[in-house]
Amino acid sequence: MNPFLRLICGLAALLSLSFQALATVSVVDDTGQNVTLTAPATRIISLAPNITEILFHIGAGAQVVGVVSYSDFPPEAIKVAGVGTYDQLDIEAILKLQPDLVVGWNSGNSAEDLKTLEELGLTVYRNESKTLEDVASSMQQFAALTGHSTMGNTKSAAFLEGTLSLQKRYQDRKNLRVFYQIWGDPIYTVNGHHLISHLINQCGGTNIFSGLETLAPVVTTESVIERNPEVIVAGVYPGPVPEWFGEWNKWSGIEAVKSDHLYTIDTNHISRMGPRILLGMQAMCEVIDKGREGRH
Amino acid sequence: MPTTHPRRTLLLLLGGAILTFVVALSFGSASISWLKVIESLRTGATSLDYTVVMELRLPRAASAFVVGGMLALAGVLMQVLLRNPLADPYILGTSGGAAVAALTAMLLGWHSGLVSTAATVGAMFSMALVFFLARGRGDWAVTRLLLTGVVLAAGWGAGISFILAVSPSSHLYGMLFWLMGDFNDAGPGLFRPLLLIASLTGTMVIARNLNLITLGEDRAEALGVHTRAVRIGIYLLASILTAAAVTLAGTIGFVGLVVPHMVRMVIGPNHSSVLPASVLFGGILLVLAETLARTLIAPRMLPVGVITAFVGVPLFLYLLRSGLKRQDP
Repeated sequence: MNPFLRLICGLAALLSLSFQALATVSVVDDTGQNVTLTAPATRIISLAPNITEILFHIGAGAQVVGVVSYSDFPPEAIKVAGVGTYDQLDIEAILKLQPDLVVGWNSGNSAEDLKTLEELGLTVYRNESKTLEDVASSMQQFAALTGHSTMGNTKSAAFLEGTLSLQKRYQDRKNLRVFYQIWGDPIYTVNGHHLISHLINQCGGTNIFSGLETLAPVVTTESVIERNPEVIVAGVYPGPVPEWFGEWNKWSGIEAVKSDHLYTIDTNHISRMGPRILLGMQAMCEVIDKGREGRH
Repeated sequence: MPTTHPRRTLLLLLGGAILTFVVALSFGSASISWLKVIESLRTGATSLDYTVVMELRLPRAASAFVVGGMLALAGVLMQVLLRNPLADPYILGTSGGAAVAALTAMLLGWHSGLVSTAATVGAMFSMALVFFLARGRGDWAVTRLLLTGVVLAAGWGAGISFILAVSPSSHLYGMLFWLMGDFNDAGPGLFRPLLLIASLTGTMVIARNLNLITLGEDRAEALGVHTRAVRIGIYLLASILTAAAVTLAGTIGFVGLVVPHMVRMVIGPNHSSVLPASVLFGGILLVLAETLARTLIAPRMLPVGVITAFVGVPLFLYLLRSGLKRQDP
């Protein structure tokens, strides 16, 4: 090879290296591990429905190549290839998609599965959103990993602003006793550590079961009657109102029943730690606020 | 052989049943005043205390008693039918058939009335399947019946695991509680108590035949018992009772297995007293378990099936030990 050509080759190699160095992204995931990519991810696999929603929300939807079951929002996400359920990942399907980034759900996916994926040479980011702030920071982190930082920052700021303005508007209004119901038979609710309970507080309500120890405890009908909620809110799936919700109507001794303050909100909004939780919070604040209007 | 007087034991159990009802109605996560309840009963004016007792606690306690009675009775009959101390109402797959059908209904999002209907259909289907498969060329051998039922039950078990594995997590709450056995606030209705009373009366009429069959089929046959007819009758009745219990409260374990044994240890093997005593004791045990399930970690609730095992295992082991001591001098 003549010296001139050699120089050009060398320069080209150097240049490409430096470009790569420029494009390298490095973030710390929610378990404290460093996640480094040589370039923004272009083939992403999402291992939880809420992670899918965040990725699409910050504009990285087109880079998502695989999702777990129930990744049904936004509608585009339904068309993406499936890689099993969040608790039973299809490792082979994941490998076959040749992802350059796997975004896992730390407390939902099996720790072993995530480790296997790493051992197979994949880059895994472990996500864990427990608060509204976590959701906002996930937006920024995912944006950094996928090359959408500007969009991510905008969306994240808008999200936080939205939650704060709801809180500002409702938190100091008259405080009401709220019963939040997840399921009817048996009756499942949430304790004070659950995000939904925090949302109730920020909307100016008090969760009547905030003192219980389990995150999602089963409670008796009697105990609901005894705590006499002023508003009953059930998180339900879109479609007809489940029959168990009608059961409350026979308990006219309950304040919420007496004044007809029984409401349902979309559980996909309020129980997924994604961008739509803002809608869920808004719905929660609005129904609690209706409870302040007295009998209707 | 135990020497307890059967009539005295039965009276004791009857008193015990009434007492457990009082306990079940008195305890719960809300504290109620009996004065107010009695006042409501007298004046007809409803109070919250009255509604809690009459519309929450009473229906649950009544359901528990009826289900406990049905399971215990079905247990006695299955143990006679299979001549096997390990037999319980669920051994021949009736409950498995009910569970698979009920879980499928839940998976499809059917409302609770249809879930119960599906469970009934599933139980009947499983019952008929065992009946025809075990019948073969006319004989009704114990081993064949037992094996057919046990294998079918294992098949249903796999079906249950499959449904649980493919169900979305939002459906699992209801499914798991159903499987562990649970009462809701609905009462037992009219059909089930009547079925229990009719079955108990009917089986007490043929108690002597049951005694003879327990001693040996050839001997029973020689003494004029139509063993085949009686055994088919027992099979159908035990299956129907099991189906009625399971469709109301899910698969509550343990009652049907240990109550008949406990009763026999105390009262002896004569079925004219074993049958009523088992019904009463099964009822008592389940009413107590239901009360504990509601109150132990109130305001939270445990599945009743967990409690029946917690209460039943030590009680059974105790009786077994004291029975042994009595037998070996």
